[in-house]
Amino acid sequence: MKTNSKKKILPLIIGAVILLALPFVAQMITGNDYWVLILCTMLIYVIAVSGLDILFGYSGQISLGHASFYVIAAYTTGLLNNYFNIPLFITIPCGAILAALLGAALAYPASRLKFHFLSLATVAFGEITYYFLYTSPGGFTNDYKGINIRSIPFLEGSYTKWYFWLLLWAIIFVVAKIFIVNSRTGRAFIAIRENTHAADGMGVNVQKYKILAFAISAFYVGFAGTMYAHLYKYISPETARQKQSVLFLTMMLFGGSGSIVGSMIGVVIIEILLELIRPLQEYQMLLYGILLLIVIIALPGGIVGGVRDVMADRAKRKLQKEGEGGAQNG
Amino acid sequence: MADIVKDEILAQEETDKAIAKEAELQAAGGKAEDDKAHPVVLETRGVTIQFGGLTAVDHASIKVRKGLITALIGPNGAGKTTLFNAVSGVYIPTSGEVLLNGEHLEGKRGFQINEAGISRTYQVINLFRSMTVLENVMVGMHTRLKSNFWSDLFNSKKKREEDAEAREKAFEWLKFVGLDEYANSPAGSLSYGKQRLLEIVRGLASDPQVILLDEPAAGMNSTEKLELDALLKQILNMGYTILIVEHDMKLIMNISDYIYVLYHGALLAEGTPEEIQANPDVIAAYLGGEDDVI
Amino acid sequence: MAVFKILLINGLVIGAIYGLIALGYSLVYRASGLMSFVQGDMVTIGAYLGITFYRVLGLPFAISFILTFACAFGIGMLLERGVIRVLLSRNVIPIYIVLATIAIQYIIQNTAQAFYGSVTQRFPAIFSKPTLTILGVTAQTEAYFCLLISVILMILLHFFMTKTKFGTAMRGSAMDAMAAESVGINTSLSTGVTWGLSAGIASLAGMLLGPMYGVYTTLGATIGRKGFAGAVVGGYGNMYGAMVGGLLLGLVETFISGYWSGTYKNMVAYIILLLFLLIKPTGIFNESAIQDV
Repeated sequence: MKTNSKKKILPLIIGAVILLALPFVAQMITGNDYWVLILCTMLIYVIAVSGLDILFGYSGQISLGHASFYVIAAYTTGLLNNYFNIPLFITIPCGAILAALLGAALAYPASRLKFHFLSLATVAFGEITYYFLYTSPGGFTNDYKGINIRSIPFLEGSYTKWYFWLLLWAIIFVVAKIFIVNSRTGRAFIAIRENTHAADGMGVNVQKYKILAFAISAFYVGFAGTMYAHLYKYISPETARQKQSVLFLTMMLFGGSGSIVGSMIGVVIIEILLELIRPLQEYQMLLYGILLLIVIIALPGGIVGGVRDVMADRAKRKLQKEGEGGAQNG
Repeated sequence: MADIVKDEILAQEETDKAIAKEAELQAAGGKAEDDKAHPVVLETRGVTIQFGGLTAVDHASIKVRKGLITALIGPNGAGKTTLFNAVSGVYIPTSGEVLLNGEHLEGKRGFQINEAGISRTYQVINLFRSMTVLENVMVGMHTRLKSNFWSDLFNSKKKREEDAEAREKAFEWLKFVGLDEYANSPAGSLSYGKQRLLEIVRGLASDPQVILLDEPAAGMNSTEKLELDALLKQILNMGYTILIVEHDMKLIMNISDYIYVLYHGALLAEGTPEEIQANPDVIAAYLGGEDDVI
Repeated sequence: MAVFKILLINGLVIGAIYGLIALGYSLVYRASGLMSFVQGDMVTIGAYLGITFYRVLGLPFAISFILTFACAFGIGMLLERGVIRVLLSRNVIPIYIVLATIAIQYIIQNTAQAFYGSVTQRFPAIFSKPTLTILGVTAQTEAYFCLLISVILMILLHFFMTKTKFGTAMRGSAMDAMAAESVGINTSLSTGVTWGLSAGIASLAGMLLGPMYGVYTTLGATIGRKGFAGAVVGGYGNMYGAMVGGLLLGLVETFISGYWSGTYKNMVAYIILLLFLLIKPTGIFNESAIQDV
């Protein structure tokens, strides 16, 4: 038992040290703040993608419009702060809560739709969000130009400070995800994903839990959106489009859905890949498309799924070997 | 193997005793005594289910008594599973009533009916395949657990205690059917017969007033059927009430206390296994319907 | 009245295009139960192929038209064979197929941009007479041509699906692949042809749109997304519903932007799509339920 807990603690310590040292190492190697900013972006994406995974990976529902929750929350905190000078510690939760409420409102009728049509409903929701922000009544969203947003005062000017702030929140959200998925609520989500009819038969209120999953994931993505807005001090309707939603999905699927670490691995690798192909400019999206297609065909379970398959294979072979050994002995 | 046979014999003796007791009761006090010992838990009154113009179940009235095994038999397409689905909330009856301890269930959704105290298994296995065997049973307990989203989110002490307790109880259920060594394997990896057993304990985990078993012996080999026979009697001894649909006549005649025969959606006959076996209408229906001989 | 007539013809033209796209969605959904996001980008491909054959190579329009159809048909079949079928054979979760079609979307849009740049390309006029007046309505000759060809395509497709042996085979394998196999229908071929056919139809829509709208890399993507609205309004999976839904969508969109405000024109299609999905998911033609539980 003791060695077991020791075994668990050691990697945790190593991981913590790496996470704490990362921004300083990045700064030392590159000599500037750029990669610290990328690290900050990764942490924001970890929150968003973890949230999307609660929806897709655990409750089995699809969304091709989650970027709209990201952007709605970002505009909410930005506009409330810009127009009414409401302090950020109020406007940020307001943004995330509004995203969660809208998620629930969309899911209330949409949770009855079959997979493909749920994806269409979320595409429509995303486009409506985009066009609304693009040409808002009275131009209160500053339309296509987007809005400038204030930074969080005590973090302003230092990406390293931002990094630790976001690290804290990423840990909080990931731990919350671990709690949720390993509970009665989480089991209900997975049961719905695995077999909706049986879940209903076992007393799970399918619609309620589908709506709950939508609201939780919209809250995660919404919170990530507010952080993005205050970090980059700018948000525009363009971010609400399908491309951003697809990016979240890609990260989730690449790492492996229905997994805590999968979401994190996916974010880190895809974000690094995107940075690497950024210099290609107009060919960037072409290459991204090709990469995406290759990944989908070659790695349908994501990295975590692939590792799981290999392990399962090895275990099977081991069992077979033992079985053969037993047969020879007998 | 020897143990199974022994269990089998023991269980058989027990039922024989039960039947004898029943006969005694019948002789001594008649219906009134029967109602006291085995009150009606679940009842359908004139349940009719139509799909478009087709009548799948026609005014079916059945009574399920506490602590007994009630069986629903009939040739293929007689509407047994359809009636099951109406009781468990998959279909809403076109007309008629479904009562659990006098509480109306017709028109309620599946999850509400489970909450009210009716659990079920499925003809086609409907497990949560990639969840572990243990987790499947824990989902079965869903309506009996009290933790909610907020206690789950904050991982409160109460939630952790309840979860640990549920885990232990689920493990005991697995032990009961001999699946404890597979507790942490994915349910989809179990053999067919074991999956059927898991479905049964998943259903029992909600501590239902009535459990509906939809062809639990389908696809089982003869050894597994013997085990099932013994298991059902054990479940009965624990105080549960069973309503069963099954094709295996040997099993049905052996375990049932009371049998309803459906034919073309309507009730053809009802009675004890002996009465059913002697009923000329039933014999005619079966001989005319299919090769399945009583 | 003059405004009404112009709006009417414009609405019908764009509606016919939506109808053709929606038709493709319905065919594909019927044949393989899948949703392809590439359909819209086949419009883009069609328009660029049209430019290549008609403007760059200087071929006659009729020949360019047929060549474009043939190329798109090949691309559609290739897509089904090379990507969709590979994924299906691996038993992947449906999201991967949706995502694969989105990846192909990126590839198509950005390949087109690599060849033709991000500037809107001119598609040369098809007719020497720039406008035509029919029943007192004057409109671009290509607009009338677009309507005419769309109607002809729909009628041809109707006869192909109901009167020809191959069309019957396609409908058969869409309804019950196993039963179709057992009576000797090559379901694999008919699924491939369905994807080819819907790609071909979309590409022709691109050739018809080109002279009126100009050609740019995201021409089809927007139309493709709106085409979903047409398909859902009509009843997803229903061929005739797709045509009706597309036409209705085109008319509503055009009249709203004509009489009320152009600002919300783009939102209208998505609001209609969302409303139908949430309130009447089976569409006007009450196509088989697309609901869960």
